[in-house]
Amino acid sequence: MTVRVVASSLRTCFGTGDQTFEALLRGENGVGPLRHGSADRLGVERGYHILDDGPSRAGRWLAGCAADAFARSRADPVRERVIAIVGTGLGELAAVEDWALGGAVPDPEHLHYGGVLRAVLPGVTDVITLTGACSAGGHALALAQDLLELGEADVVLACAVDGMTRSMLAMIGRVAAEPTSRVRPFDADRTGVLLGEGAAAVALTRTERPGPALASVLATGLSCDARHETAPDVAGIAEAMRDALSRAARVASEVDVVVAHGTGTALNDPVESAALREVLLEPGGSPLVTAVKGAVGHLSGTAALVNVDVAIRCLRDGVVPAVTGLETVLPEGDGIRFVLGGPVEAAPRLVQTEAFGFGGANAVSLLEAA
Amino acid sequence: MIGVTAASVHLPDTDLGPVLTELAGPGGWPESLAGTACPPERAATLLGRRGLLMKEPATRLALCATHRALGLAPGPVPPPDRDPGTAVVAAVNLGNVETVADLARTVEREGYRAASPLTAPNASSNVVATTVARWFGFGGANLQVCSGAMAGADALVLAVLLLRAGRARRVALVGAEPADPVAADLRREGGAVNPRAGAACVVLTASGDGVPLELSDGEDREASIVVGPAGVDLVARWGDYYGAQDVVSLALAYHLTAAGVAASVTVRTGGRTAVLGGANAGS
Repeated sequence: MTVRVVASSLRTCFGTGDQTFEALLRGENGVGPLRHGSADRLGVERGYHILDDGPSRAGRWLAGCAADAFARSRADPVRERVIAIVGTGLGELAAVEDWALGGAVPDPEHLHYGGVLRAVLPGVTDVITLTGACSAGGHALALAQDLLELGEADVVLACAVDGMTRSMLAMIGRVAAEPTSRVRPFDADRTGVLLGEGAAAVALTRTERPGPALASVLATGLSCDARHETAPDVAGIAEAMRDALSRAARVASEVDVVVAHGTGTALNDPVESAALREVLLEPGGSPLVTAVKGAVGHLSGTAALVNVDVAIRCLRDGVVPAVTGLETVLPEGDGIRFVLGGPVEAAPRLVQTEAFGFGGANAVSLLEAA
Repeated sequence: MIGVTAASVHLPDTDLGPVLTELAGPGGWPESLAGTACPPERAATLLGRRGLLMKEPATRLALCATHRALGLAPGPVPPPDRDPGTAVVAAVNLGNVETVADLARTVEREGYRAASPLTAPNASSNVVATTVARWFGFGGANLQVCSGAMAGADALVLAVLLLRAGRARRVALVGAEPADPVAADLRREGGAVNPRAGAACVVLTASGDGVPLELSDGEDREASIVVGPAGVDLVARWGDYYGAQDVVSLALAYHLTAAGVAASVTVRTGGRTAVLGGANAGS
């Protein structure tokens, strides 16, 4: 069974989903000076920030996206059972860090998003917060589809949000040979990852619910490498891709476009390329491959749903943006049709989106036009 | 049908005895609940030494609980074959708050070069769920729920969902919370009187094996034992395990039904009711 996306709301360093896609088509990148903590302490000098200030920034972005998607879904909580699942990588750990550095002690019930979302989603039945590193939003999307297909809900908001933490920035700084100036997914000369800020909310319903839809989600495949603490693994990633195809009853050669994870790190990009080759190219597929982190940064747990929003626009507009930051394709990517230089007009029918998290938690989704 | 095939309660500072004696009578304890729970700093006595370096208390407790639920003898687990049919759903809120707070202080004081790269996996909260997966070779979907006090109840719902959706044939549902100084201060800020460190694990399958488990939103069926509000108050008796609380309750319910102490046990979790056993108990 497929489910329908009836609304998708996105917030990145460029603004809304429309503004983000336009920036992607123009090949812009939203990187700027780091605005979280101090660059000399963290070893990270740049970030893809949303330029606002004040308290509870991440919560506000999430609330804004969720309220927007909820309104546009025309969900009626009196007649319909509405559930929200939020995926996040870093959650509100920044509040714990602020406390450690002399700020106020947070209430642990404010470290998840139940309160934030109940305030803007009147009548919502359940709000579940998942912490899932860089694929959290993809897991939220998978569970949303399961809830709809099994009749546990009528409208599900798959949401995600992430800001930055000093601890994660310091780890990025610690492992980089020198501070990275921008993210260059799949580039031979890539220098590592930078974090981005943002939020997303995708409203999903069953196919028979009347009203317009933006796209259909055929399936999301999930897997866990169960192998290494931080390094990705071809077998686990390939399994998530195959799980998505199998659940969607599609074959590799039908995938027209891939919105890849593409973090610009030494480890991810060769492994992701190998998995794409094994699962899609070797059985005869030849998809266009794009990736967005060069433009918007790595939005941690929100990354999966950024890719989903971009996939929906590729299907709707018949155009696939280039990989911002990619100039010379890495050797392991030889033969993969990365979109280079500028956007490509295409009429994709089936788009694959990818997200792979720390610890090897993988989520791969397949979408088609509604 | 969803069934529970195994469970463990791993609460290092808690004497389970008085509650079990009350429920099961003297000497009627389920054998599976016998034995002591090692604290996180002595997890090597159960798990073996290898791989525990830099592992946080919540991760160690979750590994101990899973090890015991799987019925493994003390000692290291041989490198497992990866099983894509087993998923992990962890209920953990505060597993890495001490690490994150320490890192923030270290970096502010001395800069990023003073931070050990070995702590990198712990900068991401989902480290408990992925470590359990790696340790035991669970290659299916990997979720960590952090909905505060509701985490255990939400995790149970998602574990059942994974089984019903055909995403796994077995789920290790693991609840764990630490009581390190940072976590304990946070929990007291949230109103906890008696924050404790502990873990529990419940193994669920869709195969029809084990003690049947049913979830409902409404009133529970008649059951001889009720755990939770208006029943056995485990928070008062055993301490406050926050996000792991409902997994502790479920694990106790499994042990009581599997040992025949009660035909069915009702667990009232945050907003939902789970019944273990009942009409099909023992089938």
